[in-house]
Amino acid sequence: MADMAVQSDVMEAAGPYDRARALSAFKFGDVTFYWITRACAISVLLILGGIIVSLIAGAWPAMKEYGFSFLFTSRWAPSNDPPVLGALGPIYGTLVTSVIAMMIAIPVGLGIAVFLTELCPQWLRRPIGIAVELLAGIPSIIYGMWGFFVLGPFMADSFQPFVIKVFDGVPILGTIFAGPPSYLSLFNASLILAIMVLPFITAISVDVFKTVPPVLKEAAYGVGCTTWEVVRNVVIPYTRVGVIGGIMLALGRALGETMAVTFIIGNAFKITGSVFSPGTTISAAIASEFAESDGLHQSGLILLGLLLFVLTFFVLAAARLMLMRLEKKGGN
Amino acid sequence: MNNFSVSVSSSTGSVPPVAMPDAPAKVTARGLNFYYGEHHALKNINLVLGANRVTAFIGPSGCGKSTLLRIFNRMYDLYPDQKATGQLMLDQTNVLDPKLDLNLLRARVGMVFQKPTPFPMTIYENIAFGIRLYEKISKSEMDGRVEKALRGGALWNEVKDKLNASGLSLSGGQQQRLCIARTVAVRPEVILFDEPCSALDPISTAKIEELIQELAEDYTIAIVTHNMQQAARVSDKTAFMYLGELIEFDDTNKIFTSPSDRRTQDYITGRFG
Repeated sequence: MADMAVQSDVMEAAGPYDRARALSAFKFGDVTFYWITRACAISVLLILGGIIVSLIAGAWPAMKEYGFSFLFTSRWAPSNDPPVLGALGPIYGTLVTSVIAMMIAIPVGLGIAVFLTELCPQWLRRPIGIAVELLAGIPSIIYGMWGFFVLGPFMADSFQPFVIKVFDGVPILGTIFAGPPSYLSLFNASLILAIMVLPFITAISVDVFKTVPPVLKEAAYGVGCTTWEVVRNVVIPYTRVGVIGGIMLALGRALGETMAVTFIIGNAFKITGSVFSPGTTISAAIASEFAESDGLHQSGLILLGLLLFVLTFFVLAAARLMLMRLEKKGGN
Repeated sequence: MNNFSVSVSSSTGSVPPVAMPDAPAKVTARGLNFYYGEHHALKNINLVLGANRVTAFIGPSGCGKSTLLRIFNRMYDLYPDQKATGQLMLDQTNVLDPKLDLNLLRARVGMVFQKPTPFPMTIYENIAFGIRLYEKISKSEMDGRVEKALRGGALWNEVKDKLNASGLSLSGGQQQRLCIARTVAVRPEVILFDEPCSALDPISTAKIEELIQELAEDYTIAIVTHNMQQAARVSDKTAFMYLGELIEFDDTNKIFTSPSDRRTQDYITGRFG
């Protein structure tokens, strides 16, 4: 009895002191934690800033030499003395392949997502879902080889001659789909890009489509909507921020994709109106020439990289702006 | 409450456990059963919803009230493992006919849900959207229809200056009245209310109850509610359901003053539920 009384006395005396010390230890841990996480966050800014600075430094000689005419020159002759360098060809190729890829991938990707979430019988859902995920996991070099050995010959032998014949003589379309057929072309690269970015659009769309409350869909069915009308008027408006986010992610990938495109685009800097002719993109041009470049040529390639960086930045900024305006206009 | 002239339906014949309504039959269920997969959720339901009458469904949670409502517009069809058997007639239409055009059925049988479900668009579009599914009309005609529907939903005065605001910017009670207006806009024959006030404050609830009574002049109404005072206030007929069975179906006054089944009495006096 007496022992216990003594013990509790001791505990009471020690209690407040212990607590304060324990708390201060926690506090120290918290401060450390704060600084560690903060350092991680700041490192992102440092890395980004470092990349921009080194790109600008590397591109500086080319910028000084060519100025703004770099953007509007389509000739690319690095072995001339002095080298003649113009970015118009790669910029054109990058934009054209990305736009065509998105034109194919957006409807197909959204179509798959709608089918998976709204229409697909349960037993088919998993196989298709897994197949889409696997599509995202294929390394780009494999897409490149497949495009080179399988898709390219097929397109040149079957698809392109047919399309060229159909649109022959039609104004505008006749120019876009002009011959001759080629194994290596902007269009082939666009197709491969479309396949590569498809999983991004589908996976993100499926995820956001699942967030639509069932009761909201029931309400739309309740006024007599068909599945198409529910998707068109309720599901997509409700999820458009997420869907556009997925599309932008896909577009970012399409703009920057290198390996597969380098394989099948033909690396031609000339600009022609036809999508069946060879071309090049910014990243393909850098990848195929950087190893053998030096001096002004290398600086020009770095400047191309900087342009891609700026291009991607503007695409993302434009997407943000569009989203903000959409949000203001109505809906949510 | 029954200030309509009494007219007796002759087309439905006699259905033993059902008291005949004093109005022409609008919806008739005979031997209706419902299954969630293996689970037998509704057992042999027989009842008649009288035209231009408000029929309330009461009963403890899980007794099948909402399930029954979801058969009336075949909402259960969205989910593959749910099925109904028996007979359900909307006038002369067999609702359970697998070949029935569901979009048309749902235009005839509108539904208002427990939670307000405004579509992600403007107030104006929320109404115009449903109308546009069935009719091609001019802008000025559409303006008229939208106004009429919003007046029908007792919402016009509150929103007439902000028709282009998002439907989601309204308060909960206003959103629910927007949903009612949206349902009314497509000119249904029957309106189903699935606990329409359970997420609303008392003032919004009172407004919606008043609205339901007004709507009964033009529509046949079925309402599921957990609030027995609400059932007593708004309905002409009340159905008490328990464990998937229809226990008692009678005039609301009778159900709440002298129910004939012991379980009904226990429920309305709060002994269980």
